[in-house]
Amino acid sequence: MPRPREAGRHPSAAPSETSGSTSPERAADDDTDFFMAQGNDSQSSIGVANFRDSHPQNVRSAPLPPIGRLPPEILIAIFSKLVSPVDMRNCMLVCRGWASNSVGILWHRPSCNSWSNLGRVTTSLGEPNSLFNYADLIKRLNLSALSNQVNDGTIVPFNQCKRIERLTLTGCKQLTDKGVSDLVEGNRHLQALDVSEIKYLTDHTLETVSRDCPRLQGLNITNCVAITDDALLEVSQKCRQIKRLKLNGVWSVRDQSILSFAENCPSILEIDLHNCNMVTSKSVTALLTTLRHLRELRLAHCTQIDDSAFMSLPPTMTFDSLRILDLTACENVRDESVEKIVQAAPRLRNLVLAKCRFITDRSVMAICRLGKNLHYVHLGHCSNISDAAVIALVKSCNRIRYIDLACCNRLTDHSVQQLATLPKLRRIGLVKCQAITDQSILALARPRASAHHHHSGCHNSSSSSLERVHLSYCVQLKMDVCVTRAMSLESVNANIFFHQGIHALLNHCPRLTHLSLTGVQEFLHESLTTFCREAPPEFTQQQRDVFCVFSGDGVTRLREYLNKNKASYPEETEATMYDDDEELDGDGDGDEGRMAGMMNAAVINDDDDEFLDVSTLNT
Amino acid sequence: MSAITLTSSDGIEMSVDRTTAERSVLIKNMLDDLGDSGDAVPLPNVNEAVLKKVIEWCEHHKNDAPSASDDDDNRRKTTDIDEWDQKFMQVDQEMLFEIILAANYLDIKALLDVGCKTVANMIKGKSPEEIRKTFNIQNDFTPEEEDQIRRENEWAEDR
Repeated sequence: MPRPREAGRHPSAAPSETSGSTSPERAADDDTDFFMAQGNDSQSSIGVANFRDSHPQNVRSAPLPPIGRLPPEILIAIFSKLVSPVDMRNCMLVCRGWASNSVGILWHRPSCNSWSNLGRVTTSLGEPNSLFNYADLIKRLNLSALSNQVNDGTIVPFNQCKRIERLTLTGCKQLTDKGVSDLVEGNRHLQALDVSEIKYLTDHTLETVSRDCPRLQGLNITNCVAITDDALLEVSQKCRQIKRLKLNGVWSVRDQSILSFAENCPSILEIDLHNCNMVTSKSVTALLTTLRHLRELRLAHCTQIDDSAFMSLPPTMTFDSLRILDLTACENVRDESVEKIVQAAPRLRNLVLAKCRFITDRSVMAICRLGKNLHYVHLGHCSNISDAAVIALVKSCNRIRYIDLACCNRLTDHSVQQLATLPKLRRIGLVKCQAITDQSILALARPRASAHHHHSGCHNSSSSSLERVHLSYCVQLKMDVCVTRAMSLESVNANIFFHQGIHALLNHCPRLTHLSLTGVQEFLHESLTTFCREAPPEFTQQQRDVFCVFSGDGVTRLREYLNKNKASYPEETEATMYDDDEELDGDGDGDEGRMAGMMNAAVINDDDDEFLDVSTLNT
Repeated sequence: MSAITLTSSDGIEMSVDRTTAERSVLIKNMLDDLGDSGDAVPLPNVNEAVLKKVIEWCEHHKNDAPSASDDDDNRRKTTDIDEWDQKFMQVDQEMLFEIILAANYLDIKALLDVGCKTVANMIKGKSPEEIRKTFNIQNDFTPEEEDQIRRENEWAEDR
């Protein structure tokens, strides 16, 4: 058997995960992605561990079995393929050689998903005569599953783990500077730190990070409201390898630190300044002009930003790395900015202009120039937009997967009929587009191919790719509509047209997992709302009365119900007034929140899957 | 489509299509160094039987797209080995580990990966004793050590 070697070897078969996870070409539509939340769990820096109390090796010289010829790095590569900690633990119990080569994989990321498990992990860490020095093997620590229980005392045993590379403490609200600071102190290996929502944290923790963690690449301090711009200035000067930065809701962030990040941290790929509303246009211009790898720039609710942010960019400079730009509610950004942005960042994939309420068709015509690069566009509350612009957009950008046009109340069925032809459309938001009728729904329910090949006679009725459809407050929608009147494409599978609008939509969108119809009177009937998910607990009675969102299993059950009861539709509806000012459904914030992953979690929104416990629907 | 010659550790020369052979980063680099001299490429760590097997694999996979995603995606998934590869790997352990060693030496990442997955699948779901039996490994722990490993890694049983 191979003898245990020095710990800390870097097997060539296991390259550091950072090179992979920072590639600018990540999977499409990974909008919720963040450095901490990645599914990518590639192993990093796993080596062979020594038995702490090194007994002399057994000198019984048994003949070497074939597997004994494999060197440690290959054994490690094999063990790295195992997923279950039980399998890894069983490998440890095979023989001394295997124990040395598998212990690093098992302890790479100890599972702390339950309180009892966390207790066992810390007990082993505290064991003075343990077989291995487990503390040095932990490379990733994630306590977010126990965020409500974890306090400074809980994490003391981890203070000896000075080789942690990724530390995730999301939402561990009881933690303070003392706990977090002691944990990161002296750890020169730290690459990613997520302390979002830990409100007690102050500059003290960031000072420790700046001093001790020069390799930091990712920092998420979302809603750490006590942290000031001065501490961030220090981070920008000391942690120059930063690639991902999330400062959402840290209201004291100013141009001072952002300008310094732009100047000192050329590797930045993503920066999120959601709600950092002291940041001005000056910062935006600097970030764009100096960070040549910038891929993602989120500036939602940075309300001071105006056209000068973009108009003062060097005239010929382009930003070919930029894929995601979020300008939600930056309402001083107007058409001329959008034109400049599209011209300078031709490879934009996600563009969020929700609540940029002064933009007009001129902006949409500019966006058309993004062509097939555009996958995701949010124009909610941009109420100047007309049918003509939407129709042009669909014709130019036919790879759109996600579009939100909530509250664009000039839009009519003409827009939706065009949108329905998008071959890859997965999500469409039409909340409060009150002019649209069942004609729109029928267009969405129609097999895509019919729109494309209408004249060629080719009717490839591939099923719809739609997954989420938001129709709340589209008050003209009906349960019972004479479909044959609506449609006359006799060549298309005639079956559809015996169904009603929503019913047809359900049957022709097999991937549908979300359908919202809040505030649409026709659907507020007990026989249907029984398949709805529950209204969020914070909703008032009035809000509950109009709440109507089907998701996950609820969609399936609604579909089955309608298929069983084709003939009998509810005749009466429980008439309830809805308040036009209540924006309960998907009109901007929800999607933006989902898009940005961790941001904005507190927004009350019935449209946000994070709040949904699907299991409660499986009754 | 040019052919090149490889020499196995036991001195056997084999003619192989260049694109096939270049699935091996080692061979590719050596060919780049040798230029078009036509000299045989010596492979002192791989015998004829194993080399034949490796070439068979390279032949079948010669048109695979360069696997950029290997690094991240495949590392943790153990079960998904394509059917042809599964059959290819149905060999005795001696040969299996020789193929893995050869893939490592010749720097054929995708083959190494398939080999490692195959072995991982042989481990999955087995008790330590069953694993020892499978690979003919001798238990060299003292009962105390075995006990201690169980105790200190008890958390791994959860989930």
